[in-house]
This record gives sequence, structure tokens and C-alpha cells, in this order.
Amino acid sequence: MNIQSKNQGDIQMLELSGELDYHSSPELREKLTELTGKQTAKILVDLSGVDYMDSSGIATFVEAFQKTKRYQGRLILAALTDTVRGVFEIAKLDSIFEIAPTVVEGVASLGSKV
Amino acid sequence: MEKRFELSASSEVLSPFRKEFRGILGQEGWEKKTTEEILLCVDEALTNIIRHAYQGNPGKMTVLVQVNHDKVEIVMEDQGKKFDPTQVPSPELPREKPGGLGVHFIRTIMDQMIYDAHYLQGNRLRLIKHRRKI
Repeated sequence: MNIQSKNQGDIQMLELSGELDYHSSPELREKLTELTGKQTAKILVDLSGVDYMDSSGIATFVEAFQKTKRYQGRLILAALTDTVRGVFEIAKLDSIFEIAPTVVEGVASLGSKV
Repeated sequence: MEKRFELSASSEVLSPFRKEFRGILGQEGWEKKTTEEILLCVDEALTNIIRHAYQGNPGKMTVLVQVNHDKVEIVMEDQGKKFDPTQVPSPELPREKPGGLGVHFIRTIMDQMIYDAHYLQGNRLRLIKHRRKI
């Protein structure tokens, strides 16, 4: 799992690549905990490079999602691969999370202020 | 095709194991979507062994995979504390709290999940998936 952080306007973006499982999810959890700890208002996670995810990955996103909700922040998951989308669907969480088909649409939904 | 994996109960082994198992399923002609779903289930079962049976302590996991064109059968054994995933209650979905989804994935995707209560040395879990006829 590789995590790249960058800012686009007032949006904090995380670009993930590789596999998100019980081994790699603590690294993502640490990054998201850092962002939610600072009450980052707009977080976008680009999942286009993630070709595998298990329930540990889901749990990491659920935890971050709950934290952002508490301070009225927003967490958008963008550009899910078919495999990752399938995992969200089996968990019936595709209706809970804000999921954008592409990063561009996710950024537009968050209304970037450059 | 039949293959036996002897793995240490540690999260580092999961990705290389999945890679090899993915190759076996591909060789037997299983389509990508079903392959990834089966891998997810075995991954969740192995993660449960690491987390619940061994509770993060060192240990061994044995995985026997038997794959042909029509059926996949996976038998996992460990020598850790008793953990019977068939007794884990089904979560109410969507579950907006972290955790509790791994066994749900196995129940949803696999055709059978059989826990051998007579296996005294630890845990033995058998997962079976039949190929859907089109």
C-alpha cells in the first residue's frame, strides 16, 4: 500500500495504491486519524489504484467517516475499482458513504476553493 | 489442483498468499470477479485466525486448497484458541460501526462454511464455493 498526500485548494487528497488489507490498513488509519484529528473539513480518497480491499479497509473508512460526521466534515471516496466497489456493495455501505465515480467529480462535489 | 500452504500467523503473509491462490484459480479458469470474492473470504478467515485464534501471538496456519473447474474447497487449520465463525451473529446492514463484516462476507459469498467442532488441536474451517452454471 502506498499513500500519497496532496492538497487541491482546500481539499486534502489521499491517493492510495496497492492492496488494502489487515496488514496495510493501520497505515491508512494513521493517516486518516491525523486528518480527522485536525478536523480537516474536506477529505477525498482516490481509490483508483487500489485493486484489493478487505473488511479491515472498510472498517478504517467507517471509522474516519464517523469522525468527519461528528465535526460536520466530509469524506468522499472516489474512483473505486470494480473489486473495491463490490466489497462496499456486499457490506451495503455504498449507500452510506459519499462515493464519486471519478476524482474530478469528487472534487466538484466538495466545491474546491483554490 | 491441490496445494497446501504452511503460513505463519502474521499479516505479512496475506498478500503473497492471495497472489499465489489468485494464480491457481486463474489456471483453473475461474473468472476474475468470483476469484476476488473467494480470495476475500479466505483472507477474512485467515485474518480471524491471526486476530482471534492467536490474538496476535506467533503461530501457524495451514491452508489446503482444492480447486477444479467446478468447485473450490479451502480447509484452514490452526492451533490457536477456539474461534467458531459460524457462531458470529449476522450484523445488521449497513453497519455504521467498524468491524464485524468479515464473517458476513464469507456467508454471503461462499456456498458453505463448515466449522469442525471435533478438531481438538485448535480450529478447522472449511469453505466451499461451486461455480455458477450459466
